[in-house]
Amino acid sequence: MELFTPEFGLVFWMFVVFIILFAILAKYAWPYIIRSLDERAELIDKGVEYAQEAKAQLDNAQADAKALLVEAQKQQMEILHEAAQMKNHIIEEARQAASVEAKKVMDAAAVSIEQARKESELQFRREVSEFALQIAEKMMRKQLSDDKTQVEMIDKLLNEIENKN
Amino acid sequence: MAFAFPLSAAEKAGGEENTFNPKETIFEHLLDGYGWELPFSHEHRIPLPVIVRDYKGDWNVFMSHRLDHGQAYNGFYIAQEGPNKGKVEGVDDAGNRYRPLDLSITKNVLALIIAALVCAWCVFSVAHWYKKRRFKAPKKGVGAIEFLIEFVYTGVIKSTLGDKAPRFAPYLLTIFFFILLMNLLGLIVIFPGGANLTGNIAVTMVLALCTFIIVNVRGTKEYWKEIFWPDVPLWLKFPLPIMPLIEVFGIFTKPAALMVRLFANMMGGHMIILSLISLIFIFSALGAVVVGFTTVISVLFSLFMLMIDTLVSFIQAYVFTMLSTLFIALAQVEGHHEGKVEKVEK
Repeated sequence: MELFTPEFGLVFWMFVVFIILFAILAKYAWPYIIRSLDERAELIDKGVEYAQEAKAQLDNAQADAKALLVEAQKQQMEILHEAAQMKNHIIEEARQAASVEAKKVMDAAAVSIEQARKESELQFRREVSEFALQIAEKMMRKQLSDDKTQVEMIDKLLNEIENKN
Repeated sequence: MAFAFPLSAAEKAGGEENTFNPKETIFEHLLDGYGWELPFSHEHRIPLPVIVRDYKGDWNVFMSHRLDHGQAYNGFYIAQEGPNKGKVEGVDDAGNRYRPLDLSITKNVLALIIAALVCAWCVFSVAHWYKKRRFKAPKKGVGAIEFLIEFVYTGVIKSTLGDKAPRFAPYLLTIFFFILLMNLLGLIVIFPGGANLTGNIAVTMVLALCTFIIVNVRGTKEYWKEIFWPDVPLWLKFPLPIMPLIEVFGIFTKPAALMVRLFANMMGGHMIILSLISLIFIFSALGAVVVGFTTVISVLFSLFMLMIDTLVSFIQAYVFTMLSTLFIALAQVEGHHEGKVEKVEK
């Protein structure tokens, strides 16, 4: 029956047409379409994921900001505290340094005063002994010779006077 | 002498002109032809090129209108009876009738080319859209085609073939759209459509042959091992190769089933509609009332059948693609596990 016997001409043309159609579509259309479909599906998936992430981030943002503010305040307090401590420390150090310096100056002054006093005392004593000698000489020139015992006695007397002072 | 036969055949056909022969009419519409009927005219046909090679090896190319009404041209005529009825025949020097090598652009071949062009246009419209508007969702017609691509690609090809989908997708998508468009164009009654393409066994044979080639050429080692040395008790395959024989038989039954399924479904659909319309002319002898009644019923029924055929067009294209995908997937087995699925499927 002719309905069930394939005609060679039609088989030939069908083969040619189908192969050409397949070759053209497989080269220029399908790979591009399939790639685009896959890419678009991926893009949509990524978009949804991104949106979800963005929403979650937005929700967290306020909490983050609050935490940041608290942290900043804490840091500020710390810095102020440190500054105050440093100020006290510096003042304390300066004070100590000043007192040490002052003490040094006072000590030096005391030493020099003591020296001056001793010197002047020595001077004074020399002068007094000279005066006393002159006086005694003048007084005793006549009565006394330049006796050594006499001088010693006078010196002893002068020591006594000095100790009294 | 050579032309006597066709002329007498034409006379015979002319004598029967007034009596309606439903079988002839139906088969004329189901089968291929050298011209394409214009609507509302049985006499005027669009002439198509006839390309035949005679017994001497020379090619003859002429338009089909030269063969209309039993005319002969260059020694070729359309046989009115015999094994080559309706086909171009020639007469050789010895006076014997013979069938030349016939590569004519017949009605079916032209319809094939039209279907291929429409198919290419449809697919390239989607590709063009992507090229132009990248990730924007396609609208209207392009959107519908893209929906079909997505439906077949993700629903059938990707879910069955997995990682191997991109390798076979071009072939499977091409047969889906080509079959779908041939089916749908066949349902349009006038010129660009109306050819019973997928209801022609030559067309479905080529399609099934392509699937057969792809399945067996791209089949894995495991697939061939499963055929010639399947995982069954030894006595089933040695010394008598019972299972291998069944498996080898299966290689050929699978594409044969594809071929016959599409052919029978589409041919059947066309035949039912033609029969329903023929009823009107068969009952025409019984008077106006009967004809009027039959016309209404027939038109309603054929409308219903056309709607079903539209659905069938889609279903058959889908089934052909789905089964081709399945056969390809079964030939892509890697481990032992899938080899068992193959047997269950049969």
